[in-house]
Amino acid sequence: MDEFLQQVLSGIAAGGIYASLALALVLIYNAMGLVNFAQGEMAMFATFLAFTLIGHGISYWIALPVTIAIAFIGGIVIQRIVIRPVERAPVLTLVIVTLGLATLINGLAGFFFGYLPRSFPSPFSVQTVDILGAAASWQDLGVMAVSGVVLVLVFFMLQRTSVGLAMRAAAHNPEASRLLGIRVSWMLALGWGLASAVGAVSGIMVAPILYLEPNMMQTVIIYAFAAAVLGGIESPLGAVIGGLIVGVTVNLAGTYLPGVGGDLQLAVAFAIIIAVLVIRPNGLLGRRAMRRA
Amino acid sequence: MRFVGRAPRRYWLIALGVIVFAGLPTQVTSFQSLEWAEVLIFAIVIMGLNLLIGYSGQISLGHGAFMAVGAYTTAILVHRYHVEYLVTIPIAGLLTGLVGFFLGIPALRLSPLYLALATFALAVITPSLIKRPENLTQGTQGILLPPQQPPDWASSTFAAVTGGPAMTSDQWLYYLCFIAAIILFWVAWNVVRRRPGRALMAIRDGEVAAAASGVNVAGYKTLAFGLSAFYAGVAGALYALATGFVSPDTFPVSLSFQLLVGAVIGGLGSIAGPLFGGIFTFWLPIISSQFVQTQDWIPDQVASVFKNAGPAVTYGALLILIMIFAPNGLAGLILSAYARLRSRLRGVGERTSGQLPPDPQTV
Amino acid sequence: MSALLELDGVRAGYGHTRVLHGVSMSVGDGDVVALLGANGAGKTTTLRAITGGVRWDGIINFAGHSLHRATTETIVRMGIAHVPEGRGVLTELTVEENLRLGAYLRRDGDGIAKDYDRVFGYFPILRERRKLSASTLSGGEQQMLALARALLMRPKLLLLDEPSLGLAPLVVRSIFDIIRAVNESDRVAVLLVEQNARIALELSSRAYVLEVGRVAVEGESAKLKNQESVRRSYLGY
Repeated sequence: MDEFLQQVLSGIAAGGIYASLALALVLIYNAMGLVNFAQGEMAMFATFLAFTLIGHGISYWIALPVTIAIAFIGGIVIQRIVIRPVERAPVLTLVIVTLGLATLINGLAGFFFGYLPRSFPSPFSVQTVDILGAAASWQDLGVMAVSGVVLVLVFFMLQRTSVGLAMRAAAHNPEASRLLGIRVSWMLALGWGLASAVGAVSGIMVAPILYLEPNMMQTVIIYAFAAAVLGGIESPLGAVIGGLIVGVTVNLAGTYLPGVGGDLQLAVAFAIIIAVLVIRPNGLLGRRAMRRA
Repeated sequence: MRFVGRAPRRYWLIALGVIVFAGLPTQVTSFQSLEWAEVLIFAIVIMGLNLLIGYSGQISLGHGAFMAVGAYTTAILVHRYHVEYLVTIPIAGLLTGLVGFFLGIPALRLSPLYLALATFALAVITPSLIKRPENLTQGTQGILLPPQQPPDWASSTFAAVTGGPAMTSDQWLYYLCFIAAIILFWVAWNVVRRRPGRALMAIRDGEVAAAASGVNVAGYKTLAFGLSAFYAGVAGALYALATGFVSPDTFPVSLSFQLLVGAVIGGLGSIAGPLFGGIFTFWLPIISSQFVQTQDWIPDQVASVFKNAGPAVTYGALLILIMIFAPNGLAGLILSAYARLRSRLRGVGERTSGQLPPDPQTV
Repeated sequence: MSALLELDGVRAGYGHTRVLHGVSMSVGDGDVVALLGANGAGKTTTLRAITGGVRWDGIINFAGHSLHRATTETIVRMGIAHVPEGRGVLTELTVEENLRLGAYLRRDGDGIAKDYDRVFGYFPILRERRKLSASTLSGGEQQMLALARALLMRPKLLLLDEPSLGLAPLVVRSIFDIIRAVNESDRVAVLLVEQNARIALELSSRAYVLEVGRVAVEGESAKLKNQESVRRSYLGY
C-alpha cells in the first residue's frame, strides 16, 4: 500500500510536468487549430538557458522566473517571425512549419550547448518526507508545487483578466474579435508567448530527473500529447486533468504490470488515449473534435 | 488533376522522366544507383501518402509503420522461410494494404487531428512492437538480407547496352524499384483520373456534400487508407532488399515525419509531387549534413560541432522557408512559375492578386 | 462641411467578383441612415468595406480620416461599432464576458459601470442570463446581446447589418425603439442595413437604395416612404 501511494505521488508529480506541456499545446491549439510539434523543443531550449544562467552563479529561484520571462518573449518572437507569414495557410502547412521549427531549435540547441547530457541542479532535495505512511520525495512535492502555482496563475490570467478574455475571444472567433477592436494578431502572439512560458516550466521541472540534453523533451511531449488528447484538446482544464491521469497511470503500469518497461510505457499512454477516444471521441472535457481558427 | 489544355505536354514530360530514370544507372556509379533507388522507394511511399492526404483528405503521421510492416514481411519470408524475394514484394504490399484497410475502419471515427495523433502513436510504438515477437523478428538484432543478383538476361542486356560490365546487384535493385514505381504510378494515375479519384476528391472537399451526392464515403476512405498502406508496404519491401538489413531502429518516428514532410513539400494533390518528395526526403538530410563541411570559411572546431547540429538547423530552416514561400510544395512552385511564364510570353499583363479588376466601361 | 462618414465611388469585391461598382453616400453626426436594397445588392459588402473586411477602392473617410488600408481593429478603435450579419456573438463565452468585450477598449471605469446599468435596463434578459453561455440565448436574445455589446463600445457610428433578421415583430419593434432612444440620447450615428424597408424608413432620416452595387435611389426617408414607385420597384411593398 505504501509503495502504491508512493507511485501515485510520483505519478502526480510527473503528471504536473505533462500537464504544463499539455497546457501549452492546448493554448496554441485553441489559438490556431494546430498542434505545435515544436513545443517540447522550445521548452528544452528554455531549460538550457536556465542552465546557463545558473551556471553563471544566479540563484535557481531567480533563474526560474527570468527564464520564464525570456521564454515568453521568445514565444512571441517566434510567432511574429515564423508563424505569422503562414498564418492563413492550410493547417498541414502550419504543421510542417512547426516540425521544421522543432528540428531547427533542436539543432540550435546542439550547436550552442552540445549533445553531452548535463546534470541539472534542483533546489529540492531527494530526501523523502512521510506522507500518510508513504515516502514522498521533496523533489516530487516541489515539482507539484511549482507546476501547481504556474497552472493556477495561467488559469487566473485567462479567466479573470481582460487580456485573457481577449485572448480567448481571439482564439474562438477572430473575425468577431477584430470588430471589437481586439488586435487578433497580437493575441495570437501572446498565446505563443504564454505557451512557451508554460512549456519552459515543464522543461525546468523535468530536467533534474532526465538529464539535460537536446533530445530531452521528446518523450515528454508524447506524454503531453496523450494528456491533451485525453483531456480534450481545447480544454485547458482537461490538459491538467489529463496530465495527472497519464502521469499516475503510466507510473503505476510501469510498476505493476509485468514487462512494461520504458518504451512500453509509451504504449500504455497511447492505449489510454485510444480507449478514451473510442468511448468519448472528444476527450474527457472536449466539446468539438476539431476547429480551425 | 489540372490538365487545363496542357494534356499533350504533360505526357511528353512523363515520357521524358521515364527515359531519364531508365537510363540513370548507365550514367552514375553503382552506389549512386542504389541511392536513387532509395529516392524511388520514398517516391512510392509518398505516392500512397499523396493519395491519402492530397486526394482523400485524411492524414497519417505513421506511414513509417506501414513501411516497417512491408519490410519485415519481406525480411521474414526471405530469411526464415526462404521465399523467392520477388514474390515477397506483392505479398508484403497486400498484407500491408490489408492492415491499412482494417486500421482505416476505426480511423473513420476520428477527426483529422485525432487521426494525426493516432497514426503518430502508431509510429511511436512500432519499434517496440517489432522488438517483442523475437522469434519472428529477431528483436533488436534485426534481419540481414543478402544482396540479390540480377538474372542473367538482365545482366547481359545491360552489358550489351552499356558496352560495359555486367549489372551489379545495386543496379538490378534500382531497376526493380524503377519498374515498381512506374507500375504504381500508372495505378495511381488511373485511380485519380477515374471514378475513385473523383470520389476521393469529393470527399476531401466536403464529406457531407459527397455523402449527399451518393458517394460511399466510408468505403472510399478506408480504401484510400488501404491503398496508401499497400504502397508503403511495397516500398518497405524494396527498402529491406535495398539496404539489406532491417531492425526496429530502421523505422523510427522521424521517418514518418520525413515522409509527411516529403509529401507536402513535393506537392500534395499533384501527380509529380511524389517524385519531388522522394528526392527531397532522401537528399536533403545528406545535403544538409555535407553543406557545412564544404564551407571553407567555417573554422574546424565550429564545424565539428556543426557536424552534429548543422543538418538539423539546415533541414529545419529549409522546411520553414519552403512552407513560407512555396506552400503548394515544389510541384506547385514549378507549376505556378510555369503558368506565370506562359502568360507573360503570351503578352497578357501580369495581374497581381488582390487588385480589383478594372471598372467596366459604362455607357 | 464634411460628414462623419463619407463614401465616394467605392468599388469592392471578393476575388474576381465585383460587388460594388461605385457607391457614394454619407452619414452625418447623429444621423440615422438606412441602406436598403434586394439580396445581393451589396449592402453587407458596403458595411464590410467600411470596417475593412473586404478589399475596396475609392474613398472612405471617417471623421476626416481615410480608412484606406486601415485594419479592422484600427477602424473600430476610431469609434465605429459594427454588428455584422450573424451577429458575431462569441458563443464560447458567457453573456457577461461578451459584454465585457464591448468595454474592452474603454478605460473609464465609472462610465462603463453606468453603461452596464443602462444596457441591462434596455435588455433585462441579459442581466438574468449573464452568467450563462451565450450559446443558450435565442436568436432574438443574441441580437440584443450583440447590440448591447456594441452600445458598450460607446461608438460614434453604429453599423447594423440586418438587425431584424429572423426575429419576431415585437422583438424587432423593441430593438428599433432602443436604437432610436440611443441615437437621440447619445447622438450616435447609425447606418442601418435592412431588408425590412418599412421599419428602416420609419427609423431613419435618410436612405439609400442599392441595386446591383450602385446607389439607385437616395433621399429623405419620409419622402421615399411616400413614393409609391420607389416602394414598388425597390422596396417590395
